Order: sequence, then C-alpha cells, then structure tokens
Amino acid sequence: MSPRTQRIVAPLVGVLAFGVVWELAVRIFDIRRFVLLAPSAILTELADAPGYYWSNAVVTGWHMVVGLSMSLLLAVGVGSLMASSRFIEEATQPVLVLVLVTPWVAYITSVVLWLGGGEQTVLFMVVLTSFPVFTFGVVGGMKSADPAARELLASVDARPWEIFWRLRLPSALPSIFTTARFAMGLGLAAAYFSEGSAFVTEGLGYIGQRAAAFNNAEALWATIVSSALLGIAGLVVITVLERLLLRWHSSQRS
Amino acid sequence: MLRRCRSLHNGTPIAAGSHGVRTGCRTTAQVRSPVVSPRIEVRNVAKAFGSLDALAPVDLRVDEGETVTLLGPSGCGKTTLLRMIAGLERPSSGEIVVNGMSPTDARRHKQIGFVPQSPALLPWRTVEANARLLLDINRRASPVTPSASVRDLLEEVGLGDFRDAYPHELSGGMQQRVGLVRAFAIDAPILLMDEPFAALDEMTRTDMRHLLGRLCEPLGTTVLFVTHSIPEATFLSDRVAVMSPRPGRVTDDVRIGLPHPRTPELEDTDRFFHVTTELRRSLAAGMQR
Repeated sequence: MSPRTQRIVAPLVGVLAFGVVWELAVRIFDIRRFVLLAPSAILTELADAPGYYWSNAVVTGWHMVVGLSMSLLLAVGVGSLMASSRFIEEATQPVLVLVLVTPWVAYITSVVLWLGGGEQTVLFMVVLTSFPVFTFGVVGGMKSADPAARELLASVDARPWEIFWRLRLPSALPSIFTTARFAMGLGLAAAYFSEGSAFVTEGLGYIGQRAAAFNNAEALWATIVSSALLGIAGLVVITVLERLLLRWHSSQRS
Repeated sequence: MLRRCRSLHNGTPIAAGSHGVRTGCRTTAQVRSPVVSPRIEVRNVAKAFGSLDALAPVDLRVDEGETVTLLGPSGCGKTTLLRMIAGLERPSSGEIVVNGMSPTDARRHKQIGFVPQSPALLPWRTVEANARLLLDINRRASPVTPSASVRDLLEEVGLGDFRDAYPHELSGGMQQRVGLVRAFAIDAPILLMDEPFAALDEMTRTDMRHLLGRLCEPLGTTVLFVTHSIPEATFLSDRVAVMSPRPGRVTDDVRIGLPHPRTPELEDTDRFFHVTTELRRSLAAGMQR
C-alpha cells in the first residue's frame, strides 16, 4: 500500500473496527439503550430524519462559529495587551485561570437567570469557555516574536500597530491554531449544554435535552453523533486554514 | 552594478548643505563646502546597567562617507554603543548626534539602516518581501523613489533567483545577504551593523565581507560596523576604534591606510598583514591596561 492510500485507508479501518466492536458489544452484552445505543440504531435514526438533525446541527455549528470568532477577537485584543505589559499580564492571568478552572456547568443556571436565556446566553457561554485558552495561546505566541526583528522594526520607528500587524500577530498564528483545537472542543460542549438549558428552541443541545426528557434514546444518541461530526468538521476547517496560512511554519513542512 | 553616487573615499570631501537632509547624488543643488561634516558624533557617552558599568565615557566621531569599525573582545560594550547610536538604548550620560539630530529623531526619519547580528528575517515573508520590510514600515519616511530597487539589490548580492523563496530555504550566508539588502534598500545615509557575520562559518564570512565591501564602495554611505574579527575590521574600515572591556573604553583609534577600492586580493598583501598585526597588538595592549 502506498503511503498516500494508507493515510486514507488506515483511519477508515480504525473507525470501522471501532463501530463493529461497539455494535457487537451492545448485542452480546445486551446493553440498555440509554447507556449505549448500537451504531446501526443511531444510523437508522439519522437516516429517518436527516433534515431535522442537519438543521439543528447548523444552528449549533452557527453558535460555535460565532462564539469562537468573538472569543478569538477578544483574546487577540486582551492577549496583545498582556503581551505588551508585564503588569497587565500578571494582573490578568489569575482571572483567566479562575475562569478556566471553574466548572461552568455549576454556574450556568445563574448565567441563564442573568442574561435571560436565548441565543445570547449560548454565545456567552461559548465565548466564556474558550476565551482563556485562546488568550493564553495569543500571549504565548506574541511573546515568541523574534526580539531581533522587534529591534529591527524599532530602528525605523515602527508604530505599535505596525509591530502588532507585521510581527506580533503573524508570530502568534502557530500557537493560535494549536489552541484553537482545544477552544473548539470547549466551545462545542458549551454550545450543546447551553442550548439544552437556556430556553432556546433549536440546536442539537436542545433536541438532545428534550430526547433525554422523553426517554428517546435514539434521538439522544443521534444528537451525540451529530455533535461529534460537527467537532470533526471544525477540526478539518482549522487544519485546512492552518495549512493555508502557515505554509511558512516548520510545523507544516513534511 | 548599483547606480548610486560615487563616494568620497580618497577624494575631495563633499558635505551636505544642512543637517537632517538626506544627502546623496540625487540632490544636485547642494551647497558644497570643503569641510567634512560628522555623521555620527558621540560625546562623553557612558552606559551603566544597574551597578554594572558597561561603557566608560566614550568619544567617537564618524565622518560622512567614512567606514568606522568598533573592534573589541566580547563584553567590551561595542554593541551597547552601537545600540545607543541606533536609538535602541539610552545612554546613562553624554550626548549622541546622528546626522544632525538625536538618535530618536534619526530613527523617526529613517536615517539608519540597521543590520542586526541575527538576520531576523520574518519566516512568513518571501526573500523579496523581507528585503522590502523596512521600506514598508513607517512608510511616510520611506524614499519615494529609492535609488536602487530591491530587485536590483537582490540581483547584486546573487539572490535574483531566490526572490520568491522563503527564509527557511536559504543558507545562513544567503539569509544575512537579505539582511544587508533590507538595510541598503531604505537609502539611509547611515548604516549600523552589529556583528552581522558573527554566526557564519569562516568561508562564508570572508565572502560576505568582500560582498559588503563591494556594496559600500560606490555608495558614500557612512558605516559604523561592530566586529571582533580583525580581518573584517581591516578589510572594511577607514578607521578602527579599538575597545577594551570592563568597563568598555576606546583605547586606540587606528587609521587604515589601505587603498580603495578594497578587493579580495588585498588580503594577501603584506600591507594588509601589517595592518592586522598592528590591530592585534593594539587589542592586546588595550586588554592589559
């Protein structure tokens, strides 16, 4: 097998094997539907109402994309301030750590009460969960900017925005992409959970929550698989963007 | 070949009419005087980092069109002195005048072409884009029509075929050649070079000083060069300021009487050898004081 074919075939074999083991385990051990549903049953459910799951996946995907974009913009702003001043960095870091480690599922009810539920609550939660990770990536990346290049720019009196745009931001891109993978996972979880508890009427989280309430294991597992597919799609987008934007970086060379 | 003004080496010195104006062959209606004007003047400048005296009070003058080298062992403060002239560091005391203005103003008006020790190329920019970097920054102060285009300069240093390459595809010597072009491209009247060839192997290093000599000869640019290599100092300079460490001082000022243009063959002559010997002795004497 050529290395090229192997790169496509090997992952497929892995996923298929996983599915077969899963299916057999459910049948042999007669696992209860809510604990684990056989892949065949999930696929049947998805195939029965593809439009329903698709349109709700689009809503969740939208929450994720908008939330993560807002989070990234915010992180670039806060991160560049932190990278430019040691004081700001030291003052901001503990707050970010606090946000990062405090389990958001514990206080989401308060957030819903405060923001009144609806889409803004979902977006708020996506931003809140992904923002610290993004910010740490931005700060680390910007501080890795070549000090010699910074001096060089200083020798012709580069304005702060020129240093930001021409040196610091491109220097931060590799670590932004690395953290984007984590941020996306956190954001997706936050979107799913918030949709289920923030009085919205669309999204995988919402229909998953309802399915659980109505003992509909098929629908619940269909939203789980849909969310996983959404996550994979997100990773693919990040990887493609990374390939395009970081062609110059050593991580992208074979 | 580069088509810029022929310099003042060994010729009648031509001084700029006024300070702060970019001089060079482009301005034809210049007031000419027989007095050589100083491009860099360092008066009684000292630098301390905390309780550590990096540089004892130093005087230094570099005239227009002159190439002066700061030669000394590591830790003698030569890089610190260069960085203060470039306005990247503030002196603890004393005064520095660069092209008639403070180092800060000289930076603002892009009067300084800086060549750092590491090439400091931006990995996401191609060779040509890197060579253009200093032109693109602080655009208001960039020359509207640079006397030599970036492409011509790249051609001149043998990188014509590598315009679209990325830095990681180049050897160390090629990367530093991009660094030279980047500094030359802004047409600054003053070039400050901080051991630009220190990280290169001996053979590349020799090639690079020959290349730099060839680039500088016809320009009339004022160059201040920092190195700890005696052959480099000898080959490139009109004058060498020998420095000694702890705290850094200028212990000797050696005029290099070698003829211009400097060609690679010069390095095999007795005269060259004599100058290097003289510099070596001067360095040793400075160390013992």
